[in-house]
Amino acid sequence: MADEVVDHGRRRFLTVTTAAVGGIGVVAAAVPFVESWQPSARARAAGAPVTQSLKKVEPGQQLTVAWRSLPIFIVNRTPQQLATLPTLTARLADPGSDSSQQPAYAKNETRSIKPQWLVMIGICTHLGCVPDYKGKIEPEPFDPNWQSGYYCPCHHSHYDIAGRVYKNMPAPKNMEIPAYHFIDDTTIQIGVDPKGAA
Amino acid sequence: MTKRQGLLRYFVLAALTCALGFASMAQAAEEGGYPSAGTNLRDQASLQRGARLFFNYCVGCHSLKYMRYSRIGEDLGLTEAEVMTNLNFTGAKYGEPVVSAMPMGLAATWFGKDPPDLSLEVEAKGADWVNAYLNSFYLDPASPIGWNNTVLPNAAMPFPLWELQGTQTAVMAPGKDGQPGTVEKLELSQAGKLTPAQFQQATRDLTNFLEYASEPAALQRHRYGVWVLLFLAFFTLLAYALKREYWKDVHEV
Amino acid sequence: MANVWSNLGDWVTERTPGMLPMYRKHMTEYYAPKNFNLWYYFGSLALVVLIAQIVTGIFLTMNYNPSAAGAFDSVQYIMRDVEWGWLIRYMHSTGASLFFIVVFLHMFRGIIYGSFKRPRELVWLLGMLIFLVLMAEAFMGYVLPWGNMSFWGAKVIISLFGTIPVIGTHLVEWIMGDFLPGDATLNRFFALHVIALPIVLLLLVVLHIAALHEVGSNNPDGVDVKHGAKGNRWSPLAPADGIPFHPYYTVKDLVGVGFMLLIAAFIIFFAPTLGGWFLEPDNSIAANNLVTPAQIKPVWYFSPFYAIVRMVPSFMDTAVWGVIAMFGSIFVLFAMPWLDRSPVKSIRYRGRGYKIALTVFVIAFLGLCAVGTDTTAEVIPAWFGDVDVTFWENLFGRLMTLLYFGFFAFLWAYTYFGWETTKPVPDRVTTHD
Repeated sequence: MADEVVDHGRRRFLTVTTAAVGGIGVVAAAVPFVESWQPSARARAAGAPVTQSLKKVEPGQQLTVAWRSLPIFIVNRTPQQLATLPTLTARLADPGSDSSQQPAYAKNETRSIKPQWLVMIGICTHLGCVPDYKGKIEPEPFDPNWQSGYYCPCHHSHYDIAGRVYKNMPAPKNMEIPAYHFIDDTTIQIGVDPKGAA
Repeated sequence: MTKRQGLLRYFVLAALTCALGFASMAQAAEEGGYPSAGTNLRDQASLQRGARLFFNYCVGCHSLKYMRYSRIGEDLGLTEAEVMTNLNFTGAKYGEPVVSAMPMGLAATWFGKDPPDLSLEVEAKGADWVNAYLNSFYLDPASPIGWNNTVLPNAAMPFPLWELQGTQTAVMAPGKDGQPGTVEKLELSQAGKLTPAQFQQATRDLTNFLEYASEPAALQRHRYGVWVLLFLAFFTLLAYALKREYWKDVHEV
Repeated sequence: MANVWSNLGDWVTERTPGMLPMYRKHMTEYYAPKNFNLWYYFGSLALVVLIAQIVTGIFLTMNYNPSAAGAFDSVQYIMRDVEWGWLIRYMHSTGASLFFIVVFLHMFRGIIYGSFKRPRELVWLLGMLIFLVLMAEAFMGYVLPWGNMSFWGAKVIISLFGTIPVIGTHLVEWIMGDFLPGDATLNRFFALHVIALPIVLLLLVVLHIAALHEVGSNNPDGVDVKHGAKGNRWSPLAPADGIPFHPYYTVKDLVGVGFMLLIAAFIIFFAPTLGGWFLEPDNSIAANNLVTPAQIKPVWYFSPFYAIVRMVPSFMDTAVWGVIAMFGSIFVLFAMPWLDRSPVKSIRYRGRGYKIALTVFVIAFLGLCAVGTDTTAEVIPAWFGDVDVTFWENLFGRLMTLLYFGFFAFLWAYTYFGWETTKPVPDRVTTHD
């Protein structure tokens, strides 16, 4: 019985190579299972972009539509409402929208593509209630110097007419702006950025 | 047993298994005695033509409730605009399934039977059957709807493609011993817009589309399968080399 | 860096001192006979398929809807809308059939090499229990898609229990939880298939392997290596004909796994229905209690047993004899250790009568498969033209049934009365060294 010399180097090489290739196989096999958790075609269809006509929204009026089960506020802002925005800087927690969520094209004073149209996810950034639209510039019980905006009934956070939160409110951030773009002057599509937008 | 015999057994086993697979596939293709439909899922142009035929002639009654318009668009290389303009006559959103406007229940009172959903028709009956069925309608004055079909006798379905094929009539063979006559063959009694060869191509395209609708994943399976098999073959060879190396200790070859 | 690992190892070992000895006992110092051949791959392959079925099954359960109203739709949802759902589904359906191919071959190995004989009767009995549970698991799994074959297959198989006198009707209603297979039936089959039976299966598999490792593995020569010559190149006390399971059989089984995955992948990616054998076309139609499929036949792996039910005629107004025969055909396998009284384990050294009888048994089994899958019903008119198919199929099927049971009767008599002439069994295993 000839005692062959064990080539340990070859053994180690083959073992490591087989283990490595096997490992690649295991990872590759895991991909379908992990990916199966991604939203299915059914979920994506239900969460598909929503097209909305703006024709019937009067100046100063808010329209609420659903997108991905979220309330989307669409406001046809009047020039008076827009004029309030620069005057509130000192009263706001984050006037420059630095820590809130919005697309790059909505990181401006009006937090929108066109100043006239506010498109915003109507969820209070405190604990998720839907704030009330208080569009009139007139004194309110909660603020004698109310400059139009939103008032959350749950814990009384105040927002301006661009969804920016006032200082010393329970809510920490401005309300979120979703991806959206104008298909034409009177129609928007919520859920898709404008072409070529950042 | 020698090493050669052992190796031979491995290959025989593998070959038998593959043969079994092929044999059963071949058998399935011959089963039922219908001529082969000749579908080819890789022919995207055929699938597109079949889709257009389906949405022009079939969706009035038949749903494809498990297929979404968006999926058809993605798989058949069509843009959303093309799908919504050329295929979507049911007013659905792009991501929604293909549901016919035909009211079920009412349809049963009109036709005798609700038009079935066709999402899995090819999987259930086979492409050859579906293709043969589409080619086997004929005018039958005795039938309440005026049509009959040699593949599915007394089908409750009127023939939607008569414009294309023309109309067929049955040549009857006389019955024996007082039995009613049987259909010997079908003849084209009035020509349609397409020649017989063109119509055969049209039904092939339509069957192709329905075969795709039965299992959309079939378009991708083959592609992935090649890589998986290559990888596994490579891995098995590596493992075999590893085995032989270690088994030198056991003085096996 | 290596220090960290060995420190960790020491920490664990101090707290679970039994782990390392257990690893040695079952892997590096489990001395398995060195002459394992092709037949010896199927045990590890069965384990791999079991794990694959559990993993793919878990992911299917994430998207499957176990209600009679939603089950069929949810399977199509998995096939079309869930990312990679089609692949997970095909893995599971292919795995189910592969499981039975592997298990049948695994059991056949046990028969030809006498692995069921003393001292391994318990290993065999546990294995037979696994087989029974596996059949129940597969049957229930097949009902879950709630296709038309799922429904009618469930109806037919459950109604077999209805043939039992006195309690039959009540038993059937109790199993179904309704007057025909419906939502109640589907939901309980779901619970059993997804959690109850897999737990039982895993437990039985652990016991099966534990029982085997207690007495040691058999081998193609049927030589008792444990009590034979001692001393091999790894240990002077270990069997001379034994080699450590790890690394030699782990590495060899890896090749077997690679081969099986190749076959599985070919089927999954290129022929997932395998011409209707693995996924039946009638099950692409949703369950319909008013329309029976043209051919009711069980999935291929139940076919021989179902054939026996069909072939045994009714007597005295009851069809229960067929059901008794069907269960009998499985229970007779439980009795193998006590039917086969030959002291010689392996077919290599057994009498010619045994080899002929076993060949006849295999032919009978395959013949019963042909009957159960309706292959005979297609082949008889194709080969012999216009003949009374039922008559000839019954004749053939009944003959195959008699041969099937006859094998066990013959085996008992052959070995009990000492009619067998065996060859001398060697002391050491024979290899092709």
